[in-house]
Amino acid sequence: MLRIHVLAGQALVWRFEDAREIRERHRLVGTLVGALARTPRQNVRLGLPLQLLPEEARLLAEMGAAVLVRSADAQPQGQSAQASEGQLYEQGLEESYQEQRRLAAQERWAQLANLAECIAQGRARKQQQRGKLPDTAPLPGPTEEQEHLESAFVFPHESMMVQLPTVWPCPGQEEQVDWTQPSRDWPHAGHQEHETRYCVFRDLWGRGYYVTSGSKFGGDFLVYPGDPMRFHAHYIALCCPPGAPLPLCDIVAAARLGTSVKKTVLLCSAGEDGVVIYTSLQWSGLQ
Amino acid sequence: MLLGHPGNRPHHPPLPGHRCHAPGRACAQDAGGGLVCLSSKGTVLPPSAGSPLFREQAVSPTSLAWRKRFCGLQRSPAELLAVRTRDRKVPQRSHGQKDFVPDGSEEQAERLRRCREEHWQLLAEERVERLGSLVKAEWKPNEGLVELKSPAGKFWHTMGFTDHGKQCLLPEEALYLLECGSIQLFYRNLPLSIQEAYETLLSQSTVSLLQYQVFSHLKRLGYIVLRFHPSVVPSWYERQLNLDSHCKSSGKHHRKRRRSSSPRVLDKKQKALGDPLEAEETLEKASEGQREPSHQASDGSCLSGKSKESDTGIETGDSVQVPAEITQHSASPSQCQDKAGDSSNAAEESYDGALSSRWDFSRIIFPNMASDHPCTFLPQPDKRLLPENVAVQEVDATRWRQLINQKHEKLSQKEQEQRERESRYKNSINADKEVRHCSNWQEYKLLLKQRRQQRAWRRPAHLWDQAVTPLVKPDEVASSAAVLQQISVLQPSHILDGASWLQEDTKDMKIDFDVYQADAVATFKKNDPGKPYARMCVRRFDEQIPSLRAVKQLAYQSQDVPVVFALVDNGDVTFYSFKEFKLPVDVYH
Repeated sequence: MLRIHVLAGQALVWRFEDAREIRERHRLVGTLVGALARTPRQNVRLGLPLQLLPEEARLLAEMGAAVLVRSADAQPQGQSAQASEGQLYEQGLEESYQEQRRLAAQERWAQLANLAECIAQGRARKQQQRGKLPDTAPLPGPTEEQEHLESAFVFPHESMMVQLPTVWPCPGQEEQVDWTQPSRDWPHAGHQEHETRYCVFRDLWGRGYYVTSGSKFGGDFLVYPGDPMRFHAHYIALCCPPGAPLPLCDIVAAARLGTSVKKTVLLCSAGEDGVVIYTSLQWSGLQ
Repeated sequence: MLLGHPGNRPHHPPLPGHRCHAPGRACAQDAGGGLVCLSSKGTVLPPSAGSPLFREQAVSPTSLAWRKRFCGLQRSPAELLAVRTRDRKVPQRSHGQKDFVPDGSEEQAERLRRCREEHWQLLAEERVERLGSLVKAEWKPNEGLVELKSPAGKFWHTMGFTDHGKQCLLPEEALYLLECGSIQLFYRNLPLSIQEAYETLLSQSTVSLLQYQVFSHLKRLGYIVLRFHPSVVPSWYERQLNLDSHCKSSGKHHRKRRRSSSPRVLDKKQKALGDPLEAEETLEKASEGQREPSHQASDGSCLSGKSKESDTGIETGDSVQVPAEITQHSASPSQCQDKAGDSSNAAEESYDGALSSRWDFSRIIFPNMASDHPCTFLPQPDKRLLPENVAVQEVDATRWRQLINQKHEKLSQKEQEQRERESRYKNSINADKEVRHCSNWQEYKLLLKQRRQQRAWRRPAHLWDQAVTPLVKPDEVASSAAVLQQISVLQPSHILDGASWLQEDTKDMKIDFDVYQADAVATFKKNDPGKPYARMCVRRFDEQIPSLRAVKQLAYQSQDVPVVFALVDNGDVTFYSFKEFKLPVDVYH
């Protein structure tokens, strides 16, 4: 079951396996909004968490593929519980340190072994320079450095590597959020605008398209024939409440925009029975 | 742990291959779980298994419990060490041009698969840092701050503040640094994961998720972003007086930005100083200019009161120069004050007199001490005109008059030029012969009345008494542009027109951040950041466009720094702002 964490009305996905499943199995794209772990100080590629549109989150919840959760206010632990948790953490850290020290020592040992020949050559050259006779060929077996490795090897605590985990480790302190009722964490339920948009979104998604947010092009959604990683968008979808008047200026503006970016503008309207009617705008000649 | 030959690519993401330090070697795992490198000659060089350095520890129950608590999401120590040799570059995004239509071909599928693999590989990586380069920090929920437990690093130059001797960070700064891998955030003795940090640090009372998204977006671009404090913005009036630079140089502490999370009490003084500004009366400015230097403690509440009152009883438009000149004398150092205190005291009292009209000016003598009138004897003034504890004797001012005006006034080049320019079109009132003939205000007012009537005589009745009157008089306008100005329908308006009269509302939009440019990092001082490059107001994309009233209020709050709206649409941040422009005037004048 996929978990979607709700924070102040925004739907976030924190585990990368969930994000992968959402994209590959359920054809929902979302937006990455966090810093990328490898290069955090740039904006070109962002990392987890994945933020989903309210319509995407609702679709997943309706399908039963995901559950909306929010973090419960953690019960204030007693002093002793906190202390024991802290101790557990410290112990784990110490053990990790010991293990890393051992591995680092082994790496160093191996490195010295590989460079044994170079070291020996360098030593011979220096002795030649000083005029002494070179030693005999290096004996097989551990070199001097390797033998002194134990005493000379330094691996302070500061050198150990520590992980800053992305995901909350304990799944026990979460509460489910009911997406059918408006609440402080999920205020979208029941709003007319959200309902209209959701109808259009579900219809477009049901036809096999990839649908993402369309504010970049002045619309509600952008409709892709395939994964947005590899394909350009074909349509800009604008959701219009049924029966509401649409000023001509808006239509002209949308049509102009669509033409200049080579996409077709779709005016979408969800009827009473849930059937969505589409009107496309395209620049054409006199006929 | 699987290690591959340098030539192979590992099939299991995300662990990168162990990079052997010398090419041509093969690395493998031996039965004991240790690392073994085979030399090219094929001899095995095992580490001495007996030494404590290389002895492998059995997996202890603690680490098992630890891994269980963290649900196996923690990386093993071997993986952690391997991160040191991880690739630091980010690969390209889309592997070539995008296709237009999916055609079910193998190529497309292959490219898509490769894109996706890379994408997931990047996302699955965790942040792993050297313990020595992490700064320890603790979240304090009561204060809504993060306190640093170990000394701060390079980020201290532009972020954070000192509170009671301890280094502290604001929640959004701490969260950003956590995402960058610069700090380790502890709460209740345990380190917080990024998810936990998002959920505990971002709440309505501190900073919302939207605001944090804009903050981190700007920080990643390299800007310096600070929280906005409305009371620290110097008002237009203060800047006109150079009050802000004066305060900076004298090191007044009220200019220091305080970073407490509780909202600052608005400085009433700043508001009162700002209010009289908007009225365009030059007289008010002059009177304020007079008060400001003479009163050291700028007590603004009495200021606004007096300035409003000084309006009454003084003719506007003509005698602006006169009070200003009295100003100079009263503000000058008090050397001549005890000697010739009369004139200045009398001047000040005359002002008060204008306000309260207790004085009978027909009986009070104003001796003319100017150089063209040889009045040197100053009699003792009436005791009723003086304050209680001031005793004044009569003065023979001859000696004093010889001391003043010794130095020939030297004008700087700029002042001389200005004088020359002004003399071309500005006329001194005293240059008029008829005005010089008047010996008191009464006569002067009579003269003005006469002149007005004369002007009126030149208005023929057949033109001016009809329903439709002429638009302009021949001597009033000099160019066609001025004529067009009279009939223009659209008046140019500035964003700050009328902005000061707007009432503040709690539901109004607020400015959230000050943004400073990245190239100012070298000279940036946290205590004195200077004027920001822009100010950000964070809103959601699907909200209404702000009304003119809201925009005016924000512009007024921000004074001369442009306000930019940062609109967040489900994680995408875009910036919008309103720009000034002038309608072109079609006439060459």
